Amino acid sequence: MFNLLRMDLYRVKRSKSVYVCFGILLIATVMTFGLLWLMATPQGQETAVRIGMLAAEDLGETSGILDGVDSLVMFRQIGLDGGMYNLVFGIWVMMFVCMDFQSGFIKNVMALYQNRWNYIGSKLASAGIVNACYLILHLLFVLLMNHLFGNMVPDAKWGDIAFYLSWAWLLTTAFAALLILICVLTRSVAAGALAAVLFGGGAVVMPLYSILNIFHMGEWLKHTIYLTLAMGPGHYASIQDLYVYATGAGFLILYTVIAGIILKRQDI
Amino acid sequence: MRTGKENTFAIETTALTKMYGDKAAVKHLDLKIRVGEIYGFIGRNGAGKSTTLKMLCGIASPTEGEILLFGRPVSDPAARRRLGVLIEAAGLYPNMTARQNVVMKAKCMGLADEKSVDEVLQITGLSDVGKKKVKHFSMGMKQRLGVALALLGNPDLLILDEPINGLDPEGIRELRNLVMALHEEGKTILVSSHILGELSKIATNYGIIKDGELIEQITKEELEEKCQDYFLIEVQDVRRALPMIQEAFPDVQPEVLDTRSIRIYGAEDGAKINQILIENQVPVYASGFHHMDLEEYFLDRMEGGR
Repeated sequence: MFNLLRMDLYRVKRSKSVYVCFGILLIATVMTFGLLWLMATPQGQETAVRIGMLAAEDLGETSGILDGVDSLVMFRQIGLDGGMYNLVFGIWVMMFVCMDFQSGFIKNVMALYQNRWNYIGSKLASAGIVNACYLILHLLFVLLMNHLFGNMVPDAKWGDIAFYLSWAWLLTTAFAALLILICVLTRSVAAGALAAVLFGGGAVVMPLYSILNIFHMGEWLKHTIYLTLAMGPGHYASIQDLYVYATGAGFLILYTVIAGIILKRQDI
Repeated sequence: MRTGKENTFAIETTALTKMYGDKAAVKHLDLKIRVGEIYGFIGRNGAGKSTTLKMLCGIASPTEGEILLFGRPVSDPAARRRLGVLIEAAGLYPNMTARQNVVMKAKCMGLADEKSVDEVLQITGLSDVGKKKVKHFSMGMKQRLGVALALLGNPDLLILDEPINGLDPEGIRELRNLVMALHEEGKTILVSSHILGELSKIATNYGIIKDGELIEQITKEELEEKCQDYFLIEVQDVRRALPMIQEAFPDVQPEVLDTRSIRIYGAEDGAKINQILIENQVPVYASGFHHMDLEEYFLDRMEGGR
């Protein structure tokens, strides 16, 4: 499996998609900080009024939008809570896996490795490594932007950041496992992209959650990847907060096992 | 007399079967390919060639049967490392260069140094393509890169499915020379191709597959013996001509092809046959000696001939 991982990481480094997807995250971050600066800082509000973006009478409403927000909350709100991170990362995972099938290179791999679990393991490990790099670099970029924009929000505690990043990584890697499963099953870029958009952006879970909540039946959906990421704890307060790890590990194992079984049963 | 090496099978299948639903793509195939052979695998489209080759490479699972590579099960990683494959179109990443594609496969195989990468690119004439991406390659260049991937790791057994598809005449000649050189090195090569004329220039053994069944395995020498010269004659009326030929030349073996053509094996004097038919007022439109090539033999077998 390590040879396969070496091969995958070689491809990751040389593919444009990994940089393009990260670039999208960075651009979204810059735009968010720019908007917040215009909305929430006196200097920015002055500029916003001058360019006609805000009416002078609305200034009071926007002044408090950053109350109670620290750098970790900011990081969550920009990428993970709304599903943008999963959408962008999911599209990268989809392109990374589906390209093996689309190009036919998988024949070269499978002619060497009859144990199909090696392939799934390698893809998952690659996704996990890219995911960790994305999360850490994105967080550092958010911290940098915060300082560049005049410390609009206070820095979060490093302990809270480490706790959050660890479970967020587990859940987003589980999401990668879901997309690997869909790509292995369908071998279609279109199906993979659709899944990334629907599942990553919450287009399936949120309407379902809203409908079921009318009948007070939607609580269980809080344990989906999307809603756990959106509602999970920002700091460790009690042992109950560890449920996020169980959710992430559960989905990760479930999707990985299904993907492995499907790949094992299919011809290439 | 065969040596011990020749008696070792590089590929040996027993009752190999692949079912897709109720339909059998490959039926009880007993394929035996000795070490050092260039085995030409022939069959019509949909006959089961690619399915068989995919099973041999381990990228499709047999429904029944057993596959041994160098005496070991195909699932044995040690056996698979002795195998280089090019199945159907070469599987290549279009946004990478030739070298990057080969390096990828090398990493997948766990090859530590990149010397072998340069070697296979050199052998296949792709060492000078530089940073040109594969998506800008011609069909022939892609096929050559596919062969380069198959050659990586110096495999003992090469499985090449339609390797000359898309190659220009020069490319075909280069690939033929390459296959011959690899054969000289002692490698076993299983090659399927529709271009039978080309295949007949290199193959030492043949296997003919029809509707998923291996209908014949034959050596080059046996094929040459079977592809004996024959006298082909076109006459106005086969029903009148045939008894005359059989009566005048009891030793020959006539074979009626259609209402106008007779193929006569074992005939030595074509002029005499013509003369007898004309004297008996059977008009002869055309006649001449022919040598059956692999293509004719194959078509003959497909039609259920001798």
